[in-house]
Amino acid sequence: MTRQSSGASSAGPIRRRDGEPLGANSEIGRKLKQYYDELVSDDVPDRFAQLLSQLEEAEPAQQKD
Amino acid sequence: MAASLGFKGDLLAAIPGLRAFAMSLSQNADRADDLVQETLVKAWDKQSSFQPGTNLKAWLFTILRNEFYSQMRKRGREVQDSDGLLTARLAVHPSQPGRLDLDDFRKALEQLPEDQREAIILIGASGFSYEEAAEICGCAVGTIKSRVSRARNRLQEILDISGEADYGPDAIAAQVMGSTVS
Repeated sequence: MTRQSSGASSAGPIRRRDGEPLGANSEIGRKLKQYYDELVSDDVPDRFAQLLSQLEEAEPAQQKD
Repeated sequence: MAASLGFKGDLLAAIPGLRAFAMSLSQNADRADDLVQETLVKAWDKQSSFQPGTNLKAWLFTILRNEFYSQMRKRGREVQDSDGLLTARLAVHPSQPGRLDLDDFRKALEQLPEDQREAIILIGASGFSYEEAAEICGCAVGTIKSRVSRARNRLQEILDISGEADYGPDAIAAQVMGSTVS
């Protein structure tokens, strides 16, 4: 961790780009991704695949057009 | 019937993201999986209303979000209104100065009102554009932007992050005074 201590004068201005209030380099942005990626990579229980198979058996997908 | 396999496959592929979003919203693993299950059932029933070629993920997130809020209303719980919310600010002190622990971050995220939390998750983590997030939440793009920025400010306050000076009073003061920030 060699985070520059708050001295904005030495680190240069951190500009906030409009579309990117959570710039990839912001601590919040990074933690948010880390938090979410951990959730996404969680193992998915089988019950969901089973559920979809049951739904398919009960009511096959409608033919479109 | 190939189309149906395709739809089922697409739903399967979307599950990890749906669970992550459901967890972020409900902060509870059992409720999150119930939400995902309900979302899959609804999506299956409504599949004829899905326009192929449009964003399936956004469509599913919309269903899940609607389900979340409708369950909250059924439980009789007031949907948090961030504007009217008067919560004590509970500071989370990082265990190590200068280092932000993921658990600290999680606790801070839990303290956000739902509308701010969902906005910052959709934009900062789920990878949606502001336009898509606005559509998912049924509100204006500007509303999403302001929720994201309030969420971010709030997280910084809670986590006492002072290193990111771009929003800090100093940066604002410097702008007001017209001095060059360099």
